[in-house]
Amino acid sequence: MFARIQLTLRQHRLETIALFVLCGGLALAGVIEAWRLNSLNFPHSCLQDGRVVQYWYDGSSAPTACQLASKKFYDLVWSPDMSIVAMFEQILPFIVGIGFGAPLVAREIETGTAPLSWALAGSRFSWLLGKIVAVVVVMVPLLLVAGLAADVREGALVPGIDPHAMFDSYAARGVFFVFWGLAAFLGTLALGTIFGRTMPAVMVALIVCVFVRGLWEPAWTHTILRPFAVEADYQWGSADLFVYNSDQLYLDGKPWNGDLNQWFNEHQPAPPVMATPDASGMVPSSSAAVSNAQPVDFGPPPQPITYVIHGADYWLVTRLECAVLLAGSLFCGAIALFWVGRRKPY
Amino acid sequence: MGADVGASNSTAALVAHGLSKRYRRKLALDQVDLTVPAGSVTALVGPNGAGKTTLSRVCMAFERPNAGSVEVDGVDPWKHRSQALRRVGYVPQSPAVYRGMSVSDHVAMARSLHSGFDSEYARRRIGQLGIPLDQRADTLSGGQAAQLGLAIALGTRAQVLLLDEPLANLDPLARREFIQVLLDAVRAEGSTALLSSHIVTDVEDACDRLVILGGGKVLLDCLLEEARQTHRLTDSDSPPPGATAVGSFLGRKGGKLTLWRLAVPEVGAEGAADVAAETTSLEDVVLGYLAAGRGTAGLQLN
Repeated sequence: MFARIQLTLRQHRLETIALFVLCGGLALAGVIEAWRLNSLNFPHSCLQDGRVVQYWYDGSSAPTACQLASKKFYDLVWSPDMSIVAMFEQILPFIVGIGFGAPLVAREIETGTAPLSWALAGSRFSWLLGKIVAVVVVMVPLLLVAGLAADVREGALVPGIDPHAMFDSYAARGVFFVFWGLAAFLGTLALGTIFGRTMPAVMVALIVCVFVRGLWEPAWTHTILRPFAVEADYQWGSADLFVYNSDQLYLDGKPWNGDLNQWFNEHQPAPPVMATPDASGMVPSSSAAVSNAQPVDFGPPPQPITYVIHGADYWLVTRLECAVLLAGSLFCGAIALFWVGRRKPY
Repeated sequence: MGADVGASNSTAALVAHGLSKRYRRKLALDQVDLTVPAGSVTALVGPNGAGKTTLSRVCMAFERPNAGSVEVDGVDPWKHRSQALRRVGYVPQSPAVYRGMSVSDHVAMARSLHSGFDSEYARRRIGQLGIPLDQRADTLSGGQAAQLGLAIALGTRAQVLLLDEPLANLDPLARREFIQVLLDAVRAEGSTALLSSHIVTDVEDACDRLVILGGGKVLLDCLLEEARQTHRLTDSDSPPPGATAVGSFLGRKGGKLTLWRLAVPEVGAEGAADVAAETTSLEDVVLGYLAAGRGTAGLQLN
């Protein structure tokens, strides 16, 4: 098996080097950025709900120690290098997954080596499974290291809260790195196996990943995570919450499906009507405004319910979402394994 | 699936019955019946598009036939792919190698994919040809890459070797070396080889059997010697006694030549009064059949 792993990685030398450089580099960068943030020694007494609050001051009085510390902290948070690290944390699992998944079968077909391998292997299922295992064995630990480094950096960004008890960028760090990477890898592998071409598989995978990642949290919060959410009572002040709004509007505690514009037209006071100028062109001062401009209290308008998931449920949410990602990955892997048996090697 | 399927007691290494394969409108194989005896070296000859590669691909379960069946060493490759492929050493049409991997890596890869692969045997064969094992495979010459492909196929120790136009891109010297290595191995192991080519002269001295494919059909299937003895070439339309016309084509000197099939093998010079100055070579036999199969305008016999 070791020889198989070694040979597979040698066949994909470029991707393997890129994997090591990207994961290793990002892990190192994440740890360095965390160290830089931690070395600011932001006073814990200045934290609000565990977070560094950005202070604004108008310069009319001398800034406080907390304001100065906050400025230094946010100067670093918003520095270009920190932004680059944050951006790469969002996309690294997809780059790695797509980079390995697309060529694994497709390049064999493109370069004409598939007939040689498939004639030797006999079973294409075991041939592809061996290649998948070889990639996963290397990819998973490296992505995990990069993900944990992202956790460390996130912990430094919110110094008062355990990163495993809050939802800030939760799907772009920690074990999510591994599971997003696996999903992207096996999904793109399936595309590469079906298309038999690397670049089309990359293009389609990029589009799919953008959509899936973009829709992931909205879709989750309104479906599977809904049972774990509680209605916000507007008294919450903790920063560890995952906050989102319901799709449904509510009025007086009941679902409301009316036209919001119509509701406002009906319930808001009409704008003041100006009095008509007299013959001299002057507006009589006694009748400048009209009486119906009086504000009327109709109560709060229809609005969504704000739901929150507490930081204590971090691992529950993480387990659930990672399980779904894993199931999706296995499904895509099964498609690739099934399809490779039917694929022509040219 | 654990049991060995169709263990071969028969004397046929490869059998095709009514084998047909269609690619959209094109019929690549048309009711092909073919038997390759065990221990033979068979030349599968035909022009481009004759169906040689399709036949190889069907035998390797790369393509599913539309009709008919094929058995490799007694095993249907489409129904029992793993077991069939274990019995075949395959050399693909173009000597594709993995870029960035050494010759030795290729042997190691073959070993990791094929449980019965004889790495030592393959390395020895490569070494005998003077190919450095640590050389990157993508820097090999065409002939060396073909030899690497052959060494890997031979390393499987399969009883049936399927070679899909391995000589097509090789220079004459590399072709000769390739065939010599192949023949040495086949004779030493007693295995069967089906060597497809559209260059007749390459296979003439190497093979003991000839199959001519044209338009997806088997036009001739016999021993090589029989092909030579039962055909005669003339430069006139008068047939030798008891002969039937096969086809006509242009000779090297520009005149029309006609290939005739004799009812019985010709012995000595008797009865050969009408035979043209040009002798009947294997190439002439193949050209005659291909001309007949193609229906060459103006040269087809009435």
